Amino acid sequence: MTPPRNSLMQTLRENWLPAAVMLFLILFPFIVGALTDSSPMGVARGDRMVMRGESVRWQSVLIEVFILGILAMSYNLIFGFTGVISFGHALFFGLGGYILGMFLEYTGMDTGLAMVLGVVVGVAAAGIVGLIVGFVSLRLRGVYFTIFTLAVAEMCYIFFSRWQVTNAEDGFTIGSLPAWLDPTQSRLNFYYIALALFAFTYLFIRRLVNSPTGAVFKAIRENEDRAQAVGFNTLNYKLISIALAGMLAASAGMLQVILNKKVGPEVLGVSYTVDPLLMTIIGGIGTFNGPILGSAGLHLLDVFFRDATITIGETSIQIANLWGLLLGSGFILVVIIFPLGIIGTWQRWRLKARGRIAKAARPDPSMNPKTEP
Amino acid sequence: MVRTSRNTSIVAIIAIIIALLAVGWITAGSIGNFGITVMSGLFQGMLLFLVASGLSIIFGLMDVLNFAQGAYFMIGAYVAYDVQHVGGVIDLTTTIPDPNIRFVFAVIAAIIVGAGLGVILERGLLRPLYARPVFQLVLTFGVSLVLAEIVQFIWTTTPYSWTETFGIRESFFTLFDQRFSTYRLFVIGMGVVLIVGIAALLRYTRIGIIIRAGVEDSGMVEALGINVRAIFTLVFTLGCAIAAFGGAVAAPFLGASSTIGTSFLLQGIAVVVLGGMGSYVGTAVGSVMVGLAIAVAQSAAIGTDFSALPSITPMLLLILVLLIRPSGLFGGNAR
Repeated sequence: MTPPRNSLMQTLRENWLPAAVMLFLILFPFIVGALTDSSPMGVARGDRMVMRGESVRWQSVLIEVFILGILAMSYNLIFGFTGVISFGHALFFGLGGYILGMFLEYTGMDTGLAMVLGVVVGVAAAGIVGLIVGFVSLRLRGVYFTIFTLAVAEMCYIFFSRWQVTNAEDGFTIGSLPAWLDPTQSRLNFYYIALALFAFTYLFIRRLVNSPTGAVFKAIRENEDRAQAVGFNTLNYKLISIALAGMLAASAGMLQVILNKKVGPEVLGVSYTVDPLLMTIIGGIGTFNGPILGSAGLHLLDVFFRDATITIGETSIQIANLWGLLLGSGFILVVIIFPLGIIGTWQRWRLKARGRIAKAARPDPSMNPKTEP
Repeated sequence: MVRTSRNTSIVAIIAIIIALLAVGWITAGSIGNFGITVMSGLFQGMLLFLVASGLSIIFGLMDVLNFAQGAYFMIGAYVAYDVQHVGGVIDLTTTIPDPNIRFVFAVIAAIIVGAGLGVILERGLLRPLYARPVFQLVLTFGVSLVLAEIVQFIWTTTPYSWTETFGIRESFFTLFDQRFSTYRLFVIGMGVVLIVGIAALLRYTRIGIIIRAGVEDSGMVEALGINVRAIFTLVFTLGCAIAAFGGAVAAPFLGASSTIGTSFLLQGIAVVVLGGMGSYVGTAVGSVMVGLAIAVAQSAAIGTDFSALPSITPMLLLILVLLIRPSGLFGGNAR
């Protein structure tokens, strides 16, 4: 029984870790700047800023972590909390990127207006596409949805890599960005925007999953037939979950194309489906922090080891060449040995250590879509 | 009820095939070109069948959608290429100078490697996960990525195009004033033999009866004292070996590249869903239909701006069929 006036302190006490991480991330550009003696704003050259120095470099690394984190969290909403596997998450990511890019480059509107319209239309389109794909395939049980999403995503990838209007495989660069957002002009601003969206996604998913709607999501994951028997229209709830996840993924795709100032078919490529899948599973399915840990961990490892080489006797092997192999093998090991991922396994150990029966945290046999009631 | 739905399926199949042939006829212009379209369609259909049949039987029996099937196709292509050509990992060019006999060995090597990797995947990785089907799906997806990485590690990322010539690949026969490749006919023939062979295996042998019973209810079969797990391994290995065989016979035409598997996997999945998951007949019919559709789209797309049309055709056909019959042409009630 907590009196209302203590609720803020109570919230902080319960969530000290996310709050501390958030504080660290807000101060991060300045901490790196102070440690490496570089300006978080970049180096001024005339009236333009040049993005040089350790602080600016690390900002872009973290922006990539935020983008992958948003993508992984949105994937976790469908996969981890609603129990539906999509192999076409790149569709939403790429769609968001393409729509924003086309608004900025092809409509000839004022940059600010194009930006706002592009974001609104892109997010809405991702939601609508999610609804359509879900409506066509979700009425069927089992793997149909998985296959269908893979097929649609791959179709879009092929389409955009052949479409002459968007320069097919080469894609197009985004030249006209509002100056306050342009990552080559004011990366610090863009860093905070990405961070804000990242934090928003985290809070939004937590709020959603802890709401009555989220309870139905989890019920569908555990046993869809029972959720239906209780009287919920499970199709509608699954559609909501997919549309929301698609909208979040689209916003991540928009951040990605702004960061690279380029739109190409690679944003629709299968790697933007594989990455969130790996990150979610390695971090911990159906946990709030797992996808974040997975995306941050994997991306930072990738950045650290990208240029490293191992030398065994005569032969030296570049880690970058082995990266995919290591990632895939690690993923297989996690799937077989630690199916709950890092966070899930840790939570289970903690529960066991406290002497509670960890029965609730068992790997979910009910995620079997073919389980008969 | 069942009979009417089966009848609508057959009507739909005939209608779609006639429509495809009509479009093919219009775009081809001459009977020779039309013949080439049909032959190319059957050729691609048979290659698709070699990927899709494994997917279909494995899914029907084990409820595993093997996303690594495309990777086995790719490995088959690489192994066959490697054995056939000078300077590979296994260099047989001096031991067996005759390219025709060497090609036979190349195909056999591909089948052995595919089967071996299939056993490893089923025994080592999938078996612990039968209680967790979602993870099986995810795992085979991961395995396909790892296999692609291993292939790139051994054979680099550069795609290979088949350069070694051998008798049957080079020969042609003439019909309606058009030259047809004998090799395509050979692959079509092999495909038909396999379709009939697997159907006979399923229909008339003891193992086939066990497999069909397992598709219906594997728990019941196990209760009757039959080692279903061993049958699982056998079927999984068979599926992987067929996919590797497909890659090997496709390699002389398509070469070996790390992306070949993904495109065949996606089309193969389209075939399996379109035919009705777990239905062998559906898979065979679906393969021919999708192969024909791709060939017709290729011939229709020549000289137009729709160069992406052939690659999205399988998905368009899949969406069309799913809208008419949500559980596929020969599928049971999917709900």
